[in-house]
Amino acid sequence: MDKIICLGKNYTEHSAEMNEKQTDKPVLFIKPPSCFVEIKDNARIVLPWHRGLIHYEAEVVLKLYKKNVIGLGLGLDLTLRDVQKKCKENGHPWEIAKSFKNSAIVTPIKGTRDFEKDWQRAVFRLKVNGELKQEASLSQAVMKADEIIHYIDEHFPINDGDLVFTGTPQGVGPLKPNDIIEMEYGPIKNTFTVVDSGFNGF
Amino acid sequence: MDSKKLSHDIMNSLERLRIMHDLIKSQNFSAIPKDEMVNDLAEEMKRLEKNFEILLNQ
Repeated sequence: MDKIICLGKNYTEHSAEMNEKQTDKPVLFIKPPSCFVEIKDNARIVLPWHRGLIHYEAEVVLKLYKKNVIGLGLGLDLTLRDVQKKCKENGHPWEIAKSFKNSAIVTPIKGTRDFEKDWQRAVFRLKVNGELKQEASLSQAVMKADEIIHYIDEHFPINDGDLVFTGTPQGVGPLKPNDIIEMEYGPIKNTFTVVDSGFNGF
Repeated sequence: MDSKKLSHDIMNSLERLRIMHDLIKSQNFSAIPKDEMVNDLAEEMKRLEKNFEILLNQ
């Protein structure tokens, strides 16, 4: 994988809950592959709690080959919300709030054939400690898969194997150590725990 | 060729081969037709062999 391309503000309800104006087109940013972690069932994923609030953002993840969607997964685009807020207030880029170790958590990728034919209508769900927090489908997003790829292609080189985080719907919120996360999307179902390493060295 | 770029190209080829393997294994030709995949596979193998030869003889 060369990179992870992420969309922000691709669901109007999420922009509203963040008290932000919905832009004509979603915001694009990149996470390096070193942020990536694939979920193994019952995994324990260490996060940098000492850096302030960490928000979950569940998103459909596309795997690309020759600018086609060849695989799907569900991802958690983790955000250091306090850090991001400060960056925004100072008019700075907020890369440091998005590109930390384990900030791009992704379920194992399944082929598009493992989903219903109109997979953009497939519903994804995120539960934290058994409570449903986010539920939506990519069909509810401002920009759908084909348009997303075209849009990215206008701005970034797309390499085979790149992943695309397609934006999060409403319902984002903070995580705390030992929260149990359940992610469901079509044939995908994974559970893992976010934990503290016990020292600030992360 | 710059050895860093060469390694990068080899890793990209391996990534493409892995993707092709997954698609072929699952017989998933909905995005890339089978004929096109066969051509891609041959080209990628050729590219990989050539780059490994350069790496070996550096």
